[in-house]
Amino acid sequence: MYLLLLLVITVPVLTHSVILVPISPTTQAVYNFIDKLPPNSLVVESFDYATSVVPELHPQAIVVTQQLFLRPLKILFVALDPNGPPLADAVLDTVNKGNRTYGVDYANLGWIPNTATEIGMISNIAQFLPLDTHGTSTASLPIIKEFPAVKQAAFVITFDDDSSALYSYLQYWQGTFNISVAVGSTAIQAPGYMPLYNSGQLVGVLISIRAAAEYEALLYHQYNCCLGISGASSAMLALSTAQFLIIAMVVFANVGYFIGRRSAKKVE
Amino acid sequence: MSSDKKKMTREELGLQIIIFSLGFFYAIVYYVAAPGIVDLQAVSDQLLAYITAVLTAAFAIGVINITRVHVINIKRKRATWKYSVLLLVCLYAMAVFSMIASPYALDPQATVIPASVIAFSTPIWEFLYYKILVNINSSIFSLLAFFIASAAYRAFKARSFESTILLVAGLLVVLGQTPVADLVWPGFAAIRDWILAFPNTAGQRGILIGAALGILAFSARRLFRYPWG
Repeated sequence: MYLLLLLVITVPVLTHSVILVPISPTTQAVYNFIDKLPPNSLVVESFDYATSVVPELHPQAIVVTQQLFLRPLKILFVALDPNGPPLADAVLDTVNKGNRTYGVDYANLGWIPNTATEIGMISNIAQFLPLDTHGTSTASLPIIKEFPAVKQAAFVITFDDDSSALYSYLQYWQGTFNISVAVGSTAIQAPGYMPLYNSGQLVGVLISIRAAAEYEALLYHQYNCCLGISGASSAMLALSTAQFLIIAMVVFANVGYFIGRRSAKKVE
Repeated sequence: MSSDKKKMTREELGLQIIIFSLGFFYAIVYYVAAPGIVDLQAVSDQLLAYITAVLTAAFAIGVINITRVHVINIKRKRATWKYSVLLLVCLYAMAVFSMIASPYALDPQATVIPASVIAFSTPIWEFLYYKILVNINSSIFSLLAFFIASAAYRAFKARSFESTILLVAGLLVVLGQTPVADLVWPGFAAIRDWILAFPNTAGQRGILIGAALGILAFSARRLFRYPWG
């Protein structure tokens, strides 16, 4: 069974075939919200996932960051997870930034070490995060001079693997200053975020690597680019075959269970 | 729930007073604003900063303890002493390169550490982090796929009415999430969206409220009684 699972995942990955997947409403909601942000709005991207969930959340981060760079927006990269800053750097190395300049259009402010910093940033970023990941004073960055406080942000998206970062942003940033929040989540966490999405607390929910593939399709339809930028679209065939195999195994197990039960009744 | 009638020692009483005071202080900060008299939020933020310092010290104690245990392994040449050498080399190599060349570098502007050292260390750190650490952690986590497959095979059986509902709902959601199935019939996605939006949301809301009430009760009990039992 394990060998079969290994085969159905490996063979499609090696074929590099791309599938354009249908778009789910929660992904479309995030895309539309970012697409409709006024020019020169401040967006905060928070990298709150560990290296173990990179296959699920890193593609989401890449495609969302790419959309942000395709629009005339200002972007701040932060992280509530210590693994966040290098992963943010990896995303910045992957996307096409066009003619955007570091410090003017975007900046990586690094790790937010505690709740006090997270709350303090609402009114004064430079005081609570004095240096960016390059060691430059944040107060000297043009983007911080233009947006000295997080409460001026129009949107926060957190790529979160355990919901702690999302709940802290909802509590401290959205609760008080009504900053719109979206989340990129793993497949396991996603059902738990549906109450927040349905109640309007979340703009949208990106669910696992499939949302990244949907995002690539959306970017391809609008900008004629970015298909395969995160590798998500080429993983969809492998994902499909693996899920079909699991469904087949469950059906097979149930058929065997009922046959066994009927045989046991006949013996009785 | 057993009632512990034992008298508190002086140390336990002192600890209980600290727990009680700090717990209620943070509750009061949330509800009371008296900026003209004292900025409670600023005091609260400063205390949180001290807690961060204490947690950092706890990490340092952990590193010191790991080092001590494995150095003893190596000195006494225990059965796994070679793995202890490997662990300590990996631990300190990653720490040193991270302090020189990562986003957490101590001197990214090359004020004290020579720029040549940083330039030499950066590709090594990037290799250790992106090519080794990320891939190893992802691979370990990906083993879950095989466990989920075998668990689904063993657990998802229609033994009763409730388990049949669970089985059917689970299969429909998985089909809705499968990209190829979605392309074959869009109805799978619609069914998935309905299951997530209605039954799932209702259940999750009940769980959230129950968990919140449980945390409230436990926190109140913890504030008022040490040791708890």
